[in-house]
Amino acid sequence: MKREFLSGVRAAVPVILGTVPVGIAFAVMARQAGLTVAQTSGMSLLVCAGASQMMAVGMYAQGAGLLAMILATFILNLRHLIMSTCVMHPLRGEKAAWKLLAAFGVTDETFAIFTTEQEEHHTISFFLGLVAVIYSAWNLSTLAGALASSLLPDIVSASLGIAIYAMFIGILTPSLTGNRRMLALAALTAVCNTLLTQVIPSSWALIASTLVCAWLGTFFVDIDGKGEQHGQQ
Amino acid sequence: MGSSKLWLLILGMAAVTYIPRAIPAVLIEKIHFGRRTEKFLRLIPYTAMTAMIFPGVWSTDPSNPVIGIAGGLTAALLAWRKCPVMVCVLAAIAVDFLLYLVL
Repeated sequence: MKREFLSGVRAAVPVILGTVPVGIAFAVMARQAGLTVAQTSGMSLLVCAGASQMMAVGMYAQGAGLLAMILATFILNLRHLIMSTCVMHPLRGEKAAWKLLAAFGVTDETFAIFTTEQEEHHTISFFLGLVAVIYSAWNLSTLAGALASSLLPDIVSASLGIAIYAMFIGILTPSLTGNRRMLALAALTAVCNTLLTQVIPSSWALIASTLVCAWLGTFFVDIDGKGEQHGQQ
Repeated sequence: MGSSKLWLLILGMAAVTYIPRAIPAVLIEKIHFGRRTEKFLRLIPYTAMTAMIFPGVWSTDPSNPVIGIAGGLTAALLAWRKCPVMVCVLAAIAVDFLLYLVL
């Protein structure tokens, strides 16, 4: 159990560098929008969902109302309902309290690492190890960014914007090389989400294209193999 | 908006974010998935990550599309050459930093 927790910690380390720049970028935005250091850190501690936090402080800076910001957060974070389902699926039978704790740590990052790990690591200790690292990195980088926001040159904060995308690209790409059907599914999803984003709000587009394309994928993608081991499982 | 209202915003955001995360933790014991649903759940990580990358990466800097394209391609190339995630992220940041210097 302790060993699994430590493997989770180890698996999260490479992703810290994806999380830290985003945490700093969020904190800089929040301070510029007028939040105090305590409020900036408090939001990261209690919400722990980077994209929605950035959106909320962006809306706050433009004078949006309380309910509008909370509703937008809800819609943007509805994707965690799907992600949490995927994370909880292999954790069946674990104690309810542990699962409720783990649920708090379901983020884009922990979900991405956990669900692409080998099956032997699909344990609650491993997941909590991941969460411990990502949660600490997220909150420490928020605090650092909030304290140092005025010192950071604009060019540095601007360069940090790519970090979150580079992280997802770094996690996703290895699953696509050598699996043409998976690559085809990714291409389909990219096109689908790009088109949907033109017509509906992007948080809804994300949810819709994730679900529709994964469903289409069940008809033609072989997750583990390259296509030739069909039916041998 | 005063300080207490900002804290109300933070608490409200925390609640509406935690609820969708917690629902599956409570319900997962009661639901059983068939083969197709299970495959569907296993494919979601890949489609979700792709949808989080595209089209967002193009507008990393909405006034400078080249920032997202160059940074994204750097990360993809390195990941394809089996570099660790950390290297992909650092290299993408470095490329964008250099681009901002010359732009």
